[in-house]
Amino acid sequence: MSGIETIKIIVNAEKEAAKILEEAQNRASEIRKRLDSMIQEQREDMLRTARKEAATLVEEGEQKGKAEAAAYEKEAENDTRQILTRASTRKDQAVTKVVEAVLGLKA
Amino acid sequence: MSETSKFTEDILSAAKQKAQVIVSEAEVETYKALEEAKTHSGREAEDLVSSARAEAEGVKRRQISETRHKLKIQEQVEKSKILNEVLEQARKRIMDVVKDEGKYTPYLADLVENGVREIGLETVVVHLNGTDLKRIDRVKMERDIGKKLDRTVKIEWSKEPIETAGGAVISSTDGRTRIMSTLDQRLDALESKLLVEAGKILFGQ
Repeated sequence: MSGIETIKIIVNAEKEAAKILEEAQNRASEIRKRLDSMIQEQREDMLRTARKEAATLVEEGEQKGKAEAAAYEKEAENDTRQILTRASTRKDQAVTKVVEAVLGLKA
Repeated sequence: MSETSKFTEDILSAAKQKAQVIVSEAEVETYKALEEAKTHSGREAEDLVSSARAEAEGVKRRQISETRHKLKIQEQVEKSKILNEVLEQARKRIMDVVKDEGKYTPYLADLVENGVREIGLETVVVHLNGTDLKRIDRVKMERDIGKKLDRTVKIEWSKEPIETAGGAVISSTDGRTRIMSTLDQRLDALESKLLVEAGKILFGQ
């Protein structure tokens, strides 16, 4: 092999090496370029999941509130009914007390 | 292998290695940035869920609190109804007493006597409603009151009937001093106290 041929082979190898490096640089640039959209996509995914969980939590809170309120209502209505029934039986006693207080005598 | 071939192979091999490093660095850099962003977004997501948890608790509490408030008002309305019925029945019973002369006349005499005692004058004016003016034996009542007070009292019976269910207004002759002893006035004056007393009987344990 002549000296010129040897140099040609080396120059070609250098050219190929440069091409390999250029391709690697391009690939690295592509990777870096995709980073912003990946971060954005990742954030949106996480927030979407969180929003879904948040909506479920609020919905559950509302359902729990309704259930507890209904239970409380039932119990309180029962208590009130008892109070009012007892009050009805004591009405005459209360009327007598009022009359006595106003007239200052036994009614 | 010739020297030239080995040399070119070395060149290419070095280029490939460097290329690998370039790509790997970009990948590691991207991975780190993604992880950092993930931590940040994770905090955002946690805040969101945490706010929702607080909101859910608030919604739950609000519903219970609104129900409690609504029921408390309903209970108060029902209690007020019963209290008003008591007052209404008491008024009716008082009117029954007023109609019963046997009970009412001595009661009226006591009211007038107390009024005269309180006003402390020798001559007083007593105002009654139209029915009492007609049915009360005023001469007897004046005499009885004088006896009870153990002093001479001159009662002038006002001819102008007053608007009241019963009872009397005792005043000085110039009308500047007045003792209000009408049933209406007593009911009005005592109403808040009566409501408390009646409430204790009705709704106490």
